[in-house]
Amino acid sequence: MARRKLKPALRRKLQRGFAILALLGLLAVIVLVAVLDRRVTQQFEGRRWTLPARVYAQPLELYVGQDLSSVRFAEALTRLGYIQRTPVDRPGTYRRKGETVEVYVREFRFSDDKQAAQKLKLSFDGDVVTALTNASGTDVPVYRLDPVLIGSIFPIHGEDRIIVSPAEVPALLPEALKAVEDRKFDTHHGVNPLAILRALFVNVRAGQVEQGGSTLTQQLVKSYFLDSRRTIRRKVEEAIMAFILESRFEKADIMNAYINEIYLGQDGRRAVHGFGLASQFYFGKPLSELNLPEIALMVAIVRGPSYYDPRRHQERVLERRNLVLKVLAEQGVVKPAEAERAMKAPLGITDTAHRSANYFPAFLDLVRRQLREDYPEQALTETGLTVFSTLDPLLQEKAEDALSDELERQDKGSRKAARGLEGSVVVTTPQTGEVVAIVGGRRASFDGFNRALDMKRPIGSLAKPMVYLAALQSGSYTPASVVMDEPVELKLENGDLWKPNNYDRKIHGQVTLLRALTQSYNLATVNLGMDVGLGAIAKTYVQLGLDEAPPKYPSIMLGTAQLNPVEVAQMYNTLANGGFRSPLRAVRAVIDEHGKALKAPELEVTEAAPAEAVYTLDRMLIEVFERGTARPAKRSLPPNLVVAGKTGTSNDYRDSWFAGFSGGHLIVVWMGHDDNAPTGLTGTTGALQAWTRLMSSITTTSFEPLMPEEVEDRWIEYYSGLETSPYCSGSAVSMPFEVGTVLNPSLSCPPGITPEEGALMQPLPPDVPTEDGVAVPPAATEPSANLP
Amino acid sequence: MPLLSRFLTAFLLLASAGCSLAPFKTEPPAPPPRTSSGSGPVIAEPPSVTSTMPAEPTVQAPPPSMPVPRERPKVAPATLSPASSALVNLSQSQRKKGDLPGAATSLDRALRIEPSNPLIWIEMGRLRMDQRNFAQAEAMGRKALSMAVGDSRTQASAWQLIADSLRARGKNPQAQEAMDKAKELSER
Repeated sequence: MARRKLKPALRRKLQRGFAILALLGLLAVIVLVAVLDRRVTQQFEGRRWTLPARVYAQPLELYVGQDLSSVRFAEALTRLGYIQRTPVDRPGTYRRKGETVEVYVREFRFSDDKQAAQKLKLSFDGDVVTALTNASGTDVPVYRLDPVLIGSIFPIHGEDRIIVSPAEVPALLPEALKAVEDRKFDTHHGVNPLAILRALFVNVRAGQVEQGGSTLTQQLVKSYFLDSRRTIRRKVEEAIMAFILESRFEKADIMNAYINEIYLGQDGRRAVHGFGLASQFYFGKPLSELNLPEIALMVAIVRGPSYYDPRRHQERVLERRNLVLKVLAEQGVVKPAEAERAMKAPLGITDTAHRSANYFPAFLDLVRRQLREDYPEQALTETGLTVFSTLDPLLQEKAEDALSDELERQDKGSRKAARGLEGSVVVTTPQTGEVVAIVGGRRASFDGFNRALDMKRPIGSLAKPMVYLAALQSGSYTPASVVMDEPVELKLENGDLWKPNNYDRKIHGQVTLLRALTQSYNLATVNLGMDVGLGAIAKTYVQLGLDEAPPKYPSIMLGTAQLNPVEVAQMYNTLANGGFRSPLRAVRAVIDEHGKALKAPELEVTEAAPAEAVYTLDRMLIEVFERGTARPAKRSLPPNLVVAGKTGTSNDYRDSWFAGFSGGHLIVVWMGHDDNAPTGLTGTTGALQAWTRLMSSITTTSFEPLMPEEVEDRWIEYYSGLETSPYCSGSAVSMPFEVGTVLNPSLSCPPGITPEEGALMQPLPPDVPTEDGVAVPPAATEPSANLP
Repeated sequence: MPLLSRFLTAFLLLASAGCSLAPFKTEPPAPPPRTSSGSGPVIAEPPSVTSTMPAEPTVQAPPPSMPVPRERPKVAPATLSPASSALVNLSQSQRKKGDLPGAATSLDRALRIEPSNPLIWIEMGRLRMDQRNFAQAEAMGRKALSMAVGDSRTQASAWQLIADSLRARGKNPQAQEAMDKAKELSER
């Protein structure tokens, strides 16, 4: 009886003990699940909002009259990943047949409007578009191609991705992923025990870890937490989180998250995540346009983006891609014949050169800096902004080529000091102040030291136009005014006596302003500048767009002010723009992820310097090409192209500059050594060469500003400044003067002479073209730029 | 379930963000004059701007413009090319709808095609008026003037813009002066 009485009591005790234990265990599991639930759900829902801002180039505008040939148009389409094929029946395809191109333009959301996909037909006549019609044959006045994606603003060592919606994903991709990675995806609850067992078996047999039994959901979870440690605890946690995701979300959402999340490659310091970006990264076109072998290749990469890097291990990747194709055929995802055909296709990966052609770190750097003025860093790297930049990809590529070609030429040249040079190029469109290209160094696609923005160097004779602008603005000088090119001694701010020299070590005596500038005479410039006043000269720097005036040292007349190429471009842009200052901008518009327009720098113009003075100075800068230090470039430029510009060389030939413009483009080139060693080059023998290569390779217009109303053209003698007739002197040059200016007539050849009389006279020899003058005082007023 | 619905909403937003905007509308297809380039002001006489003087002039050289005429040659009124005309029309309709950023984008596009066309700069100035950026409206007018030398009709509309921008800032005497200039030019 006693036994019988005891038994239930013990049983109750035991039962209670078990119940408490079970309860505690359950509680622990619940807590763990709750914690994991929180983590994984937050990740799943929050993930889609951390999107780096995408930056696009300028779109190519299509219109009748556009300066574009069918060949160049086809090149632009290829750059955008358009495929030449017949029929042209889906977005991203085109067909060129002689002088007509049919193209199915992709849908694209611009800053102002969403442009639907549309089929267009263009006719060309040589270098010009003669007709632009849509599918129904109606004329289209103007149409934008989808722009080139040039990069995104992501945190250092950050992930980058292009989010795709299910509609943008080819139906084949999820099917292929399931067939290769997770056949039970549609039915399992996050984990697939059978697959794990199978994997275990394979691994044991192989003696090492070869096959993972992870479902797509588990892979997604693993990717979220970026932890590839293969511990049991991780595996269990992963499995629980996969289970949680499956119970909370639809299969389709998980698949879409997977497609946007998974790691698919490395591009320098950015990690390529998701199939949207990977498609651009490997094939240079949108995911929606991939064909069977390309999709199979992407699925092949999933297993190990580094091991199966198609740019490094082509054979290995080809083998795996074909294995994927075989599996797809076996699983009935594609027809065996299709798979067979696809196996014969090449990998189709764009080579690195092409990829880097769409990767412009120096330009992106300027975009980032300009956006930082309006946006916090986090908004740029996480909120999915779309940025429409001013970059002209074709011009950018030409700028990179022009610089690297010239640097290579110098590498092979006889000047030892000019080997291994670095360089930088900035190109703007003067009227609108848009930056259309920036090269930050010899290796343009290398995201390193950006010389266009981070390097300040003495500008040498690029400073002279500021002296002459101050002189012309003062009202006391014209191009015909005579100044003395004779020795001058100045006491410097440090007490030293400064005795500048001319480049040719000669003294030219009385020279016209025009000649002094075109020949870059130092002594004449210093004498002129001392008369005009350092204050007036320093002021022109601000007028032309510099934030701060340089210190009022005499040496600024010969270019000791240290500027970066973008600052030089800002100042010369104002000269190229008739005295109107437009803050240079690299961004045209910014929209948020819903398409709403946000703050962006606007086109601004300010009348900064009198139009008459700037017009006159510009005409003198044209003569730099006709008779002055840029004359050697004349034969390499298109014969009728009118350009203006100025050479610059700093002390001991450390910096070689050229800044010059046509009607459509301003180009600034700097060449030098990072360690500031002498280059042995002047502005003429260095930077001007690269400048000329670029200017003659682009489509541009002559510099032909309208003459301001208060100004008229008169003929003067280049040497004396006396008014003359164009019929009797090789040195006669037409220059603008304010209406009513009194000019002394030439005695030997006065203005009214007839052509017949003029023909009897001996023409004077043209000025001997000189190189740029270097005479910066030995004691530089500022320490030289120290570069890393 | 609220989680799921939140997720779905986010997902739908993302998916629909790309197609929530009105489709691009081209202007009604006005038959564009294919033969004329129509790019910008047609200048009655070649401007004697550039010194294309041969180094050693000969008697065969074309006679230069001497003596220099005091009266500047009259210039035919500036016109828009079909492409920039379409973009200016587009920007005007965007302005009417209150889509000022859109209007700015369209004018940026037009300026890329014809940066030296004063009519587009005047349009840009009109847009700045709508944006209540009156100083820039005036600056656009002055920029247009620099490109409209000898073209009294375009000069008149640039001065009109300048007058409006001055009046908007309460600078009435200067506005009146600008108005007078506009009036005088339009009667030429």
